Amino acid sequence: MKKGLQWKSIIIVAVLGLAIFLAYPPKDKIKLGLDLKGGIHLVLQVLTEDAVNMETDQEIVRFQELFKKNNITFQTAAKEKPGHFVFSGTAADQEGKTRDLIDQYTRDWDYSFSGDKLAFTLKATVIQFLKDQAVNQVRETIANRIDQFGVAEPLIQRQGSERIVVELPGVTDPERVKGLIKVTAVLEWKLVKAGPAPDEETLLKDFGGKVPEDMEVVRGDASRGEAGLFLISRVASVTGKDLRMVRRSVDEWNNPAVSFSLNSEGARRFEKVTGENVGQRLAIVLDGKVQSAPNINQRISGDGIIQGRFTLEQAEDLVVVLKAGALPAGIRYLEERTIGPSLGADSVRQGLMAGLVAIILVMIFMVFFYKLSGLNAVAALLMNVVILFGALSYFKATLTLPGIAGIILSIGMSVDANVLIFERIKEERAAGKNIPGAIQLGFQRAFSAIFDSNLTTIISAIFLFQFGTGPIKGYAVTLIIGLVANVFTAVWVSHLIFDLTVSKTAKRLSI
Amino acid sequence: MQLFKTPHINFMRYKYVALAVTFAIVLAGVLNITVFHGLKPGVDFGGGTLIRVEFKNPTPVGQVRKSLADVGLGGSTIQETGKKGYEYQIRTTQFIKGADAQQEMEAHEKLADKVIETLRGGSPESLTVVSRETVGPQVGKDLRKKATQATIWALIGMLIYIAIRFKLEYGVAAIFTLTQDVLITMSLYSFTNREINLPIIAGILTIVGFSINDTIVIFDRVRENSKIYRKESLEQIMNLSLNQTLGRTMITSGTVFLTLIALYLFGGEVINDFAFIMLIGTIEGVYSTIALSCPVVLFWQKAFKTKKGFRR
Repeated sequence: MKKGLQWKSIIIVAVLGLAIFLAYPPKDKIKLGLDLKGGIHLVLQVLTEDAVNMETDQEIVRFQELFKKNNITFQTAAKEKPGHFVFSGTAADQEGKTRDLIDQYTRDWDYSFSGDKLAFTLKATVIQFLKDQAVNQVRETIANRIDQFGVAEPLIQRQGSERIVVELPGVTDPERVKGLIKVTAVLEWKLVKAGPAPDEETLLKDFGGKVPEDMEVVRGDASRGEAGLFLISRVASVTGKDLRMVRRSVDEWNNPAVSFSLNSEGARRFEKVTGENVGQRLAIVLDGKVQSAPNINQRISGDGIIQGRFTLEQAEDLVVVLKAGALPAGIRYLEERTIGPSLGADSVRQGLMAGLVAIILVMIFMVFFYKLSGLNAVAALLMNVVILFGALSYFKATLTLPGIAGIILSIGMSVDANVLIFERIKEERAAGKNIPGAIQLGFQRAFSAIFDSNLTTIISAIFLFQFGTGPIKGYAVTLIIGLVANVFTAVWVSHLIFDLTVSKTAKRLSI
Repeated sequence: MQLFKTPHINFMRYKYVALAVTFAIVLAGVLNITVFHGLKPGVDFGGGTLIRVEFKNPTPVGQVRKSLADVGLGGSTIQETGKKGYEYQIRTTQFIKGADAQQEMEAHEKLADKVIETLRGGSPESLTVVSRETVGPQVGKDLRKKATQATIWALIGMLIYIAIRFKLEYGVAAIFTLTQDVLITMSLYSFTNREINLPIIAGILTIVGFSINDTIVIFDRVRENSKIYRKESLEQIMNLSLNQTLGRTMITSGTVFLTLIALYLFGGEVINDFAFIMLIGTIEGVYSTIALSCPVVLFWQKAFKTKKGFRR
């Protein structure tokens, strides 16, 4: 045996061994996509405008404070739209001083004076930054929540500039998960000034029918048993950011509830507020809805309990979202798919069945046409499949239904490579070459066709991978791997088997 | 065993016929798609909700249709899948136009809830929801955009590669061939009652893959023969190359065809559409590679007076 052949054999056996090692057992090593495994697939959009809006609101307050502190006169400050607000009633002779003050304070805003108006516009780069940051924060918060909730192998990924893809294998209760992800979870404790009342008129009776500037009207959460409207202070005494710990517990009637303790700063404020307002009610507001409004019976320090008519599940979910923190911007769903585990299992079973039948048919076909040489093609084909699965496992790629289509195309091209070679060998034989010569020439001449056709398809698959979305990507991945394996098996493995089995002086070739 | 002794068919003689046939099919398809709305976008592209359910007890399709019609959901598409009489696939096709995407999405969800509730008829155990998919209008639009983008780039990539490895007109011919593969396949598909979903896109991509493969095999032979038979005209060389590769074209396509039959018969509901469009595409692909790829090169050379033959 020639030395080159020995090395080739070793390399091929090594590659085969490695692929088997990587892919065995396939049940544990090959990651299946949600369409094959079952689970929830959500695509959501981050309402990034929220982040800009919030920033605008906060900056208006900060500028007001800044101007007041430095004796700059103005009458009103009004937000025109997110990222844009106007101070009016400014004095012309203070313009220079105001400019210095603003420039010292921040560079994020463009501003211009005209008459007694001072207009602020958030810079485009800052807007971009805020939006980008919001998407990342939302992604992290959702990841935290899913983590707390407990899902094996979740995938939470940013997609493009404003989207997030959430894939949760094995989860089959979409409503609960969607609720868990979607709540903004801004928790605030605010003093109740009036209410609950059935309508605004009754609520504002003591205030002359108008909402005082430092108060706001919010709705009770009907599902928590708090109907009606509340008038509460605008500024929160304590917020979710002050929480040190939250835990599911029970209230004194053994109903599910959530207990919390505050950090030292929060505890100090809580103590002050409760101490000063004994006998009043303190509303617990989640995402702008009053959950409960208990009476303050005495000064309370850092611990407390949130009650409402929670079910066990709801109390658990509230703990999860409070632990993971609030969303910095709202979200909305663009796409939601729930695949039951039975459908996924059916797809896998049917896919395997069809794949097996297909491979067996191809084998019979090849052996029928090319006799013993056909076995050679079958060996190359099987090896191709094994390498493909090994590589899928190595790259941690996910096998999806379109991915199976990719495998089929690469199997087809693997068969084609062998057909090209065999037909060429036959032609060379017909042209009068001896058997070893015909085999050499057959491989040589078929090579350029195999190489060019595989490479062209690989090129298109790379672009599909680059620009395609999830399922198309899955298709491109299996295709690229399959075709690379194909060039290897068709050119090397098949050739080696011929070299090993056909002697130099062979008079007959089974082809 | 030899399938074909190298035959001597004068393929190139039929080049105008081939062009006319292609043109006729594509025209019929385009008319059917644009005027008669023959292509039905599935849930992936058109948005809406697709629900797969399994009844505990056998339920005839008429009953399903009737109970949905009774609550005003008669317009839904109902398909029997898998176990006959037990499993159904229902797509709500009600036209929903909300004030914004979010409302549309929620309206779709509500419709889906209504379908499930109606079919359950008050007893939750009688029906299992196997899967449910809601796709908002934005996603479908994006998917179309992304798919178009990916396709255009892939085409450009292939054109450049073939132009480098062969010649520009061969790249053009290959792209032309596979464009008409897609057009013809879609045209034929538009006459069936099936929907366009993601697996169909995967199928079309696969057809393109096989077609480009076939085309390149023939071009490769033309390239090789051009070096051997320096005196012959390009048209004669193309004829020879088509005949020499005919055996492999038939054997390869036959193998693929067998594979697809297996997928079609055993692959299950989801793969069925994919296998179906692939079956159309495979037959059509053989036709287009043999009948169209080479003539386009000739036409191009005639039109732009590029140097004849393969040699630069």
